[in-house]
Amino acid sequence: MTTPLAPDRVDLRVRLGDVELAHPLVDASGTFDVLEYARRFDGDYYAEFPYAAYVPKTVTEDARTGNPAPRVTETPAGMINAIGLENPGIAAWIAGLGTWARLPQPVIVSVGGNSPEQYAAVVRALEEHLACAPAGTCPDIRGYELNVSCPNVSSGLQIGADPAAAAAVVGAVRPLTRRLLLTKLTPNVTDVTAVARAVVAAGSDGVSLVNTFKAMVLDRDTLRPFLGNRTGGLCGPAIKPIALRMVAEVAEALPDVPVVGMGGVMTGLDALEFIACGATAVAVGAANFTAFEAPRRILGELRAELAIRGLRTPAEARGLALRA
Amino acid sequence: MSDASTEGRTHAESWAETVHGRVSGIRHFGAFSDLEIVAPEVAAKASPGQFVMVTVPGGGFLLRRPLSLFAVRGDRIGLLVEARGPGSERLTALEMGDAVDLAGPLGSAFPVSGVTSALLVGGGIGCAPLQFLSEELARAGAQVTAAFGFRDFRAARAAGAFAVERLWVATEDGSVGRRGTVIDILAGLDLPPQTVVYACGPAAMIAAVQRWSLAEGLRGYASLEAHMACGSGSCHGCVVDTARGKLRVCSDGPVFALDEVRP
Repeated sequence: MTTPLAPDRVDLRVRLGDVELAHPLVDASGTFDVLEYARRFDGDYYAEFPYAAYVPKTVTEDARTGNPAPRVTETPAGMINAIGLENPGIAAWIAGLGTWARLPQPVIVSVGGNSPEQYAAVVRALEEHLACAPAGTCPDIRGYELNVSCPNVSSGLQIGADPAAAAAVVGAVRPLTRRLLLTKLTPNVTDVTAVARAVVAAGSDGVSLVNTFKAMVLDRDTLRPFLGNRTGGLCGPAIKPIALRMVAEVAEALPDVPVVGMGGVMTGLDALEFIACGATAVAVGAANFTAFEAPRRILGELRAELAIRGLRTPAEARGLALRA
Repeated sequence: MSDASTEGRTHAESWAETVHGRVSGIRHFGAFSDLEIVAPEVAAKASPGQFVMVTVPGGGFLLRRPLSLFAVRGDRIGLLVEARGPGSERLTALEMGDAVDLAGPLGSAFPVSGVTSALLVGGGIGCAPLQFLSEELARAGAQVTAAFGFRDFRAARAAGAFAVERLWVATEDGSVGRRGTVIDILAGLDLPPQTVVYACGPAAMIAAVQRWSLAEGLRGYASLEAHMACGSGSCHGCVVDTARGKLRVCSDGPVFALDEVRP
């Protein structure tokens, strides 16, 4: 029987590749816009930023207008979305960096595209900017998350479902940066470990999983697809058990590769479960939609869940659910 | 009509942490319920046109429901809810004393300053923000005329929740008020040329009001409806087409200049 600790005895720091994080929680790309939170906050939100790293909404080479409405709706124990990677394009995105340069936490930039060249163009543009940007004009960009797994782009092709195609994206980006490179994997595959192995072999430092599950909701009156894009990505508590299984599979197959686990994290216990399945860091997505203060609550709960089990660090919990 | 732009924010939009409200009154009008909730933090900052994100009570629902502020009285807010699906049905079934979590006020507000004559146009549940607006306009000294359109007599029961002096109602089946749409009411009104139009309702109604206002040379504002997830401007789930490109109803709106929306 373990002895519970006082919560303040828990040291939440983790290391994701070469990036030190104050605690394991980050935001899932596209669910948390720091500018919008800072605009409303009575005070300096950048000093209060709740996540250990900031993963902004996916940026692509050219501006994208996204999918037709409706783009979101509730599902049992979750939600479905088909936003379609709406974003201003990398040039406008870079031009806006000064507005949130004061964010003290490390930033992991989510990058999207339809081809290896498009991913490379985004990373090249940002690296060139960072190489000559005056001090204080950019946030602390420490890595990239290659989003090869958005289920809602019209090409119909999910790069991340094909190990060779996903590896080609990593191979195109790897020579352009020495920063942390994560690849965000899709769960819409039979064997997620095959894609994980391929992207790591191509130079990805770690993997994030899972993105959303391709799904469909019907309009109950017309029996036609409800979303403007017909299909969308399912997320929220409904997917957590599948996400945990997939994180565990990757962690067992690639025990030395850092994993950012995600999928329906609503509580600190949910986050701890992802860590127990082998995740180093945990991303919070749909929970951001339930309350603006959700990240702080989940972080407090994670600390308490570790303490009550006598676990001094997240590392002590990591992999507890995996095969011996 | 750049003066109708909502780009310059004049209202208070709060850091909307969840507040724990309590139902202090409830009135039912067919499928519509007027919920009065004690929520001083929200009431103190609220402006007409703004909305709150309401957690569906009792668990089992992930997303909060965006609801316009129907009224603000002291430390209480009013919400007009239409039972449309399982989430809103849960809300309309709330009883006196029940707890309800919500966050707000959020989004842009209807500008009211300097307005001497106002025309309020609502369609269905889109009428919800116009009660609060009519009170603010009257307080600012404006003459207020309202035209509400409903599908049929069942939907028109929502009109019973309103206390607006000059209120005209139309139903598509003619069962209550004038037969037709709100546009049929507008054609018969004699309004001063400086009248400002405030519209809230389904896209087809907004489009019709936009055309009518353009023809009449009237400026105004439209509050738009959309399916939302975050309510914070983060997820881009609620975007609409406007003259300024795709904008988020939750954070760029819900109130836009009437001539810039593309319903």
